[in-house]
Amino acid sequence: MKVVGTSVERLDAVKKVTGTAQFADDIQFSRPLFAQVKRSPYPHAKILRIDTSKAKALEGVRCVITGDYYKKRSGLYLEDKNFLAVGTAKFRGEPVAAVAAESKEIAEEACRLIEVEYEELPAVFDALEGMKPDAPLIHPDLHTYKVAPIFYPQKGTNISHHYVLRKGDPDKAFAEADRVFDNSFYIPHVQHVPIEPHACTAQYMPDGELTIWAACQSPFAVRRALAETFDFPLNKIRVISKAVGGGFGCKAGTTLEGIVIPLAMLCPGRPVKLTYTREDEFQYAYVRQGLHIRIQTAVRKDGKIIGSRNTLAWDGGAYTEYGVNIVKAAGWGCVGPYDIDNIATDSYCVYTNHPVGGPYRGFGMSEIHFAIEQNLDMVANEMDISPLDIRRINGIREGGISATGQKIEVAGYQECLERAAQLLEYDKPCEPSGSPTKLRGKGLAGGWKAPSMPTDVASSVIIRMNEDGTFVLLCSCHDMGQGSDTVMAQIAAETLTVDPSKITVRTGDTDHTPYEWQTVASRSTYCAGNATKLAAEDLRNKILEVAQIKLGTWKNDLYLEDGYVCRKFYPDMKVPMSTFALGLSLPDQSGIAGPMIGVGSFTVPNNIAADIKTGLSPKPVAFWTMGVNGAEVEVDTETGKIKVLKMVSVFDAGKVINPQMYEGQAEGAMVQAMGTALYEELKLDHGRVMNPSFVDYKIPTFDDMPELVVEAVEKAEPTGPYGARGIGEIVMVPGAPAIANAVANAIGCRFLRMPLTPDVVLAALREKNKKQ
Amino acid sequence: MKEFQYLLPHTVAEAVALKEKYDKAAVFMAGATDVVVRMRDYLLTPEYVIDLKAIPELGGITFSKEKGLHIGALATMNEICADENVKQYYPTLAKAAGSVGSKQVRNRATCIGNIVNASPLADTATPLYCYDAIVEIAGPNGTRELPITEFILFVRKVALERGEMVTGIRVPFKEAQGEFCKISRRDQVDLSTVCGTVLKIDGTYRVAMGSVAPQPRRLPKTEALLNGAPLTPERIEEAAQLATTEVSPIDDVRADKQYRLDMVAYIVRNALGKLA
Repeated sequence: MKVVGTSVERLDAVKKVTGTAQFADDIQFSRPLFAQVKRSPYPHAKILRIDTSKAKALEGVRCVITGDYYKKRSGLYLEDKNFLAVGTAKFRGEPVAAVAAESKEIAEEACRLIEVEYEELPAVFDALEGMKPDAPLIHPDLHTYKVAPIFYPQKGTNISHHYVLRKGDPDKAFAEADRVFDNSFYIPHVQHVPIEPHACTAQYMPDGELTIWAACQSPFAVRRALAETFDFPLNKIRVISKAVGGGFGCKAGTTLEGIVIPLAMLCPGRPVKLTYTREDEFQYAYVRQGLHIRIQTAVRKDGKIIGSRNTLAWDGGAYTEYGVNIVKAAGWGCVGPYDIDNIATDSYCVYTNHPVGGPYRGFGMSEIHFAIEQNLDMVANEMDISPLDIRRINGIREGGISATGQKIEVAGYQECLERAAQLLEYDKPCEPSGSPTKLRGKGLAGGWKAPSMPTDVASSVIIRMNEDGTFVLLCSCHDMGQGSDTVMAQIAAETLTVDPSKITVRTGDTDHTPYEWQTVASRSTYCAGNATKLAAEDLRNKILEVAQIKLGTWKNDLYLEDGYVCRKFYPDMKVPMSTFALGLSLPDQSGIAGPMIGVGSFTVPNNIAADIKTGLSPKPVAFWTMGVNGAEVEVDTETGKIKVLKMVSVFDAGKVINPQMYEGQAEGAMVQAMGTALYEELKLDHGRVMNPSFVDYKIPTFDDMPELVVEAVEKAEPTGPYGARGIGEIVMVPGAPAIANAVANAIGCRFLRMPLTPDVVLAALREKNKKQ
Repeated sequence: MKEFQYLLPHTVAEAVALKEKYDKAAVFMAGATDVVVRMRDYLLTPEYVIDLKAIPELGGITFSKEKGLHIGALATMNEICADENVKQYYPTLAKAAGSVGSKQVRNRATCIGNIVNASPLADTATPLYCYDAIVEIAGPNGTRELPITEFILFVRKVALERGEMVTGIRVPFKEAQGEFCKISRRDQVDLSTVCGTVLKIDGTYRVAMGSVAPQPRRLPKTEALLNGAPLTPERIEEAAQLATTEVSPIDDVRADKQYRLDMVAYIVRNALGKLA
C-alpha cells in the first residue's frame, strides 16, 4: 500500500495553524439577531407564571418565547427533552424563556426583565437516591414518551432505561468460587471542554426553508431530530457544520439548536445566533454522566474469574434522550476485555436534577474501566497474583466470548498487554526519586470499546472526478480534529492510486454532502471509510468501463496505477485517468458515458440487536478495539500531589491508516484521561455547578505532560477498510485506572473515586498511617 | 457586562480628582485582569472605569540598597519577576510574581492591582508582608503611607479613603533568606490553595500565609517561637504545628480546611528545613 499506513499531512493543517479555518461562530451574517436565554435558578421547580411583557417592550427586542410556544418533546433515542422547559424546570440553568434581539446586550437585558414565578419541588441529586421507590419523580409521564425499541423506561420511576445482561449461571459460579470480592466505585461528572464552545445560527425563510449553521459532529442526526421536533419535512431543513473545534461527544446531539430555531421561525429572514460561553458550556451543554458502580467477582484459586455481577447506576441528569444508549453500551462492555463465562449485569439510567448527561469520549467505557481495572488489581493483590498475570489469565483471546455472547474473532489484547508491560519496564522497580517523601509506582490497565450504535446505521460517500484527474470527495462524517478528512482522502487515494493531495474532502452540509448517521462511536474510519472505499471502487469500475473501449480490450485486462489506466499484459499502453473524467470522446468527436462519479453506501453487516431479557446477542457490534495503557507516577507524600512521569499506549488498531494521527489521538487521549484521573470533576452542590469555568475546573497544561510512548498492534479487521478499525475513544479508556493503579503501587492507598486530588491523597495517607 | 464610561487620566492628580468625584461609582483599572473578569460576571458594575495606564509616573521598578525597592502601580508581574534586582535581592517576591496566572496574564497583571484587589490568596502578598512593605497612597489631601499589614483589612476591603489610590509599594532592603511556596492544584495557571513566605532577616524569622484567613496574615506566635531559640528539628516541627493554630482556613472547591492546615505546616517545615 502506498498511501494507507503513511503519515500524510492533515488536510486541515495549514488552515488550523494559520487561524483561517472557519468555525460556526466565525460566520458573518447580514442583519443578524442575537439570542439569549433566561434560565431556572432552581434544580427542580414548577413554573407558575412567566411574564415577558417588559422584555417584549424593550427597544431592539424582536421576539420572546417560553416553553409554551413549542411543547413537542425531542430526543435521539427517548423523546424526553424540551428545549425550553414546559411546566417544570428539571435542572438548575434549564432554559425557561429565550429572546432574540438586535444585539447581545439588548438580549441579555431583556432576559433580566423576564419575570418568572416558581414553586420549588423536591429534587434528586444522586442516582442511587433517585432509584428509591419514594424518590420525587422527575418525569412522571415517562411511560408515555416515544422511545426507540431497544430501551426500556420503567413506569412510575426515575429509571429511563434498565439494561439486563444474564450470561451463564452466575449464582453457581459464586457458589463454586474460591474467593469472592465486592468493590464499589464512584465516577463523578466531568465536562468535555472542547476548545470551541457550542455555537448555532438559524435562519428561517418566508417560503418555509430553515437553515442551521452549527458546531456539530452529526449534521444528519441533528437534522432529523430537529425536523421531528419542529415539524419540518427533511427537504426543508438544512444543517451546515463548519470546522468543529473538538467535540468529544458533546456536539453529537442537539443542545442549543432547539432554542434558536423557534426564535428564527418568529423572525423570518433574520439569522438568529447563539454562542455559548465557557460557563454555559460547563452547565448547559452536555456533561459526562456520573456513575455508581458495584462489581462482585467470583475467582478460582488459580486466578481465573468465573463469575461477575455488576450493578451500574448512572446519573443521567434531567434528560437522558442520549444517555440511555451509554447505559446500554456500558452493559455490553461490562466486564472489560476479559473472558468470563457467568455474568449478571444491571445497568440503570436514572434521572436526577443535575445537568444533562450525554456522550463523552469512551461512551461509558472510561467510567466502567476505572472500576473494572482497579478491581482487577485489588483482586490480584488479595490473591497474591501479579496484576500482569491476572490479565494474562483472564484477558480475551481469539475465539473468546464477550459479555453478550459474541465470539471475538480478532483480539490483540494479550499482545498489547505484553508490549505495554515491556515499554513500562513493569518487571523492574521504578528509578529512585531521590527523596524519601516522593514515592513512585507503576500501573497497568486494559480496556475495550465497540461502536455502540443502532445495528443498522448507514454511511454514504460520493467521489466526483474533475477534468484534470483531481477529485472531490463528499461525505458527512465530520472532522472535528480527529482527522477523518485526511483518513477518507487516504483511503480514496489508495484505491484510486493517486496522491492524496489530488483529493479534496468536503463535509457537513445536509443539502450537499451525502447521508452519514453520526460522527461518533469511533465508527468513522470503519463505516465512512468503508463507504469511501466503496465509492472509490465504484468510480474505478466506471473509469474502467469506458477505458476498455478506448484501449480496445475488456476491463478485466485493466488496472489503475499512479493515476493511469494500465493494461495487465502491456503495462506501457497506459492512459491518464483524467482522460475519462467527463466520459469518453470517440474518434468522431461524439461522446459517451458522461462525468465520472463514484457512489458508496455502507451499512454494518449482520449486526443484531440484543435480547430484552438476557441482553445477549451473537453480534451486537461491528468490532471490539482493545489495548492497554501503562503509567508511572510520583506521589509527593507531603503535599499529596501526583506527578505522572510516563504513560504508554498500546492498542490493537487494526491497520493504522495514518501513524502520525494515530499517535496524536493516543497522546491526546492519555492526557485527557490524566485530566479526569487527577483534576477534573464537575463539583455539584444541590444541583449547582460550583466550578463552571477554568478558574476551578482544571485540565492538564503542557507543563503537566508526562513522557508519552505510543505503539500499535495491527491485527487487521476483516471487514474494515484496508483492515482498519476505530480507535478514537478506546485510547483514552484505560488511562485513568492505569494512573490509579500506579498510585496504589506507589503509596499503598486505593482510590475508589475520581479524581485523585492532593487533599484526597493526603487524607488517605493519614488514614493509612493511623492504621499502622 | 454592564455599560460603563471609560476615563483615561494622564496624571495622578487627574485620576484622584475623577475618583473623588465619582467615588463608589468608579473603579480604577491597570492590567484589568481582576476588574474585567469581575465586571463580566456582574460582581462589579461600575458606571466609570478609570484606566491608569496613561499615567507615566506610575510605571517602573527602581532599586537601591538605601531606598529599597519601589514598584510602580503599573509594573507588571512579568516585569517584576524578570527584574534583575528583584531576582537578586527579593527572590521570594520574584517567585511569587512569576507564579500568578499564566504568562499572558502576567503580561498585564500588576503587583499593585494584586494587593488592592485584596484577595486572601494574592500571590505577591506574603513576601510583601514579610518584608514589611509600605503602601504609597495618593489622595485629595496629598500623599500618605501605610504598612501593607494595615492596608488590607478583609476580603476585598482595603484602607483607602474617598478619592484615594495606590501609586506604588516600597519594599525596604534587608538581607534576607527564605522561601516563597505556592500550593496549587496544578503547577501552571492556577490560584493558590495555600501560599506562604518564610524569611530570616537579621537573625529573626518572619512568616506569612495566604488563603488561610480573610486576609493574608503574619503569624506572630510562630515568629516569636522561632526567634526565641536555635532552629532544631524539634523546634521546626513545633513551629509548623503552632502555625496551624494561627490561621483559620475554610473548605471550598479548591481544598478542604484540613488540607490547608496541612499545607501551612508543610510550608513552614519545608522553608525552615532549608534555613536550618
